[in-house]
Amino acid sequence: MAMRQFLVRRLLQGILVIWGVVTVLFGLRAVSPGDPATLMLGEGANRELVERVREEEGLNEPIYVQYLDYVGGLLQGDLGYSWQSNRDVTAMVIERIPATIELTIAATIVAIVIAIPLGVVSATRRNEPSDYGATLFSLLGISTPNFWLGLMLILVMSVWFGIPYPTMSTAAVPVGAVRIPYPSHIGYDFYGFPTGRRGVGFPDAMRALVYDQSVSELGAWLRYITLPALTLGTYFTALITRLTRSGMIDELGKPYVTATKAKGLPNPLIRYKHVLRNTMIPIITVLGLQMGTLMGGAVITETVFNWPGLGLRLVDALRIRDWPLMQGIIIFIAFAFIVINIVVDALYTKLNPQVSAE
Amino acid sequence: MSETILEIDDLSTQFFTSEGKVNAVHGFDLELERGEVFGIVGESGSGKSVTALSLMDLVESPGRITSGSVGYRNPSFAENMRTSYPDAVDGDLVDLRAIPEDARRSLRGTAFSMIFQDPESSFNPSLTVGEQIAEAVEVQQRATAMPRSGRAKTRGPEYSLGSYLMSMALPSKRYVTESSRARAIELLETVGIPDPAQRADEYPHEYSGGMLQRAMIAQALASEPDVLIADEPTTALDVTIQAQILDLLNELQAETGMTILLITHNLGVVARMCDRVGVMYAGEIVERGTLEDVFDDTVHPYTKGLLGSVPDLEGTADRLQAISGNVPSLLDHEMGDRCYFADRCPKAMDTCLEKPRSFDVDADGRHSVTCYLAEENYDPDRALEEGRFASEGAVSDVGGDSQ
Repeated sequence: MAMRQFLVRRLLQGILVIWGVVTVLFGLRAVSPGDPATLMLGEGANRELVERVREEEGLNEPIYVQYLDYVGGLLQGDLGYSWQSNRDVTAMVIERIPATIELTIAATIVAIVIAIPLGVVSATRRNEPSDYGATLFSLLGISTPNFWLGLMLILVMSVWFGIPYPTMSTAAVPVGAVRIPYPSHIGYDFYGFPTGRRGVGFPDAMRALVYDQSVSELGAWLRYITLPALTLGTYFTALITRLTRSGMIDELGKPYVTATKAKGLPNPLIRYKHVLRNTMIPIITVLGLQMGTLMGGAVITETVFNWPGLGLRLVDALRIRDWPLMQGIIIFIAFAFIVINIVVDALYTKLNPQVSAE
Repeated sequence: MSETILEIDDLSTQFFTSEGKVNAVHGFDLELERGEVFGIVGESGSGKSVTALSLMDLVESPGRITSGSVGYRNPSFAENMRTSYPDAVDGDLVDLRAIPEDARRSLRGTAFSMIFQDPESSFNPSLTVGEQIAEAVEVQQRATAMPRSGRAKTRGPEYSLGSYLMSMALPSKRYVTESSRARAIELLETVGIPDPAQRADEYPHEYSGGMLQRAMIAQALASEPDVLIADEPTTALDVTIQAQILDLLNELQAETGMTILLITHNLGVVARMCDRVGVMYAGEIVERGTLEDVFDDTVHPYTKGLLGSVPDLEGTADRLQAISGNVPSLLDHEMGDRCYFADRCPKAMDTCLEKPRSFDVDADGRHSVTCYLAEENYDPDRALEEGRFASEGAVSDVGGDSQ
């Protein structure tokens, strides 16, 4: 009962936030220089044509009418039309979602798989070499910028070691380096989502695995996603390592840990079932918040790796000032952020019985 | 005199802090008889809790047990240890300080269990009470199924991280089995928790303090322990609940015949529960004996001070007799080699500048006191002048009742 009330409240809050995002974006567009009709048609377009487009798009209406039109459209799930490609923004956003979600989840998995064991080792072997190693790693991870790390990974893995990973475009590669061919099957996957440089999407890879018992597709997908996932996940990994370490150390000092030792419980049970579980409560929160941030942060990683996700599309839209597309992507990211947060809060009450009681 | 179950000799636990070594427990001697309730009483900072933790081998860094032996009498355990560690075994008595940590720790939750002062922080807040008690049951049952000798020598199939990961995937591989859960509910019933099957599924924060302390006792009973160490079991509870918990402990002790080491600062609790009592001061026992010996034939001025500071409803005294001053510094380099109570003692004499040994008061050796007054009478002419230790007696309670 309390749970439903809680969800309804969070949902209403979420709607309020989205409305704020929409309004701010609309305001920014209104005050930003450049006439949309000119942007659409290009410099030097026919004056009459420009005027006709202004009329058709309602650009001559008062600003509040334009605003109400836009919000009205949003309520019907209509994000408008891209000025550049004249395609439906909703479709343009949706087709890029899978790639970004794949990348975000892969980065999160990288972070969890590396960070939590590292944090546990660090906390349980405090002030030993392994702890220093983990601390150094997390310090480096937190202070390394994404774009640099991505470029370095490409340089080291692809250019120096020749692991076939498609770098940026077909432009010239450094002398002596292996020229990396384009993946052969750029195009659209079974579900109609663009595969871009990852070559194959995760759903396709799974389909191949299930229906054709073929692992080669999954292998290809893994090869393409590994470097971007490492790049996107490094900061996150470092952050979670630190949180796990400090959280574990805090928990280990609590009286109930002494009590579990007095019970004679085996060490792994004390460490994982009791201590780590309690440490996870705050970590889950950060994990959730960060997953939202990751979706936004994927912009840089996607650009470096030419990953066909929302971030790359956002950068493209910014470059050509395609406002409706830009707005659509940002609204979607905000929406995703809120949904993830609500899920995290719901999970939190599951993990921490004291919260659900309140 | 019945047989002893624990023979603690010269046990010392020190904390290595930046200010120096702190002697939380030093030269602690105690013989516990099977089936008795022995009380350790003393003020905050006297080393009571650290003693309890030392016996359980639960002293955490920067603390360490630096010397002494803890002899535990158990024929089957001694038999198991005899071949591997002949030096540690003397008849039925095994010196727990001389066997490896693994073997020593296998006794936790099987031979020894402990009740803590604050039940609310001594349960994990995010697991149900039933689950936590069932874990203790499981420890006991697994130990019974797999004798200790196997664990000590070959280290057997121990519970590892792999086992835990496995249990997350397969419920049948969980550490806690259904039968342990059922036993946990029985135990909750034993300690007088109404509706135990339902209460077992509740979390610690859904219990009241008294109920939770009952649950903790149930958890300690799950081990079917030889020795139960109760560290201030009633301190965090309301006075009315305190009596209930003590009665419960008394009942259970009578039923199971377990030995209880009861640690408290409350002389009322001691009088209600204990057969024998030891008065602890600055890390050592200064007076010990039966209740009558210590309460009625008190010798040590510190014990007298403690007794004098208890309100007496029928007494004639207008004011309580507080002991002046504080517990002395336990820093190794400040302690020196004298009677540690001398600077607070109303009857300190020049002899007290030398450390007294333990003197027997009675012929049967049951009542002993670490004070020269056991041997000679107070002579006012030899009294130490007031403020003799003022300069060195820095007040400190480091390493005291931290648990």
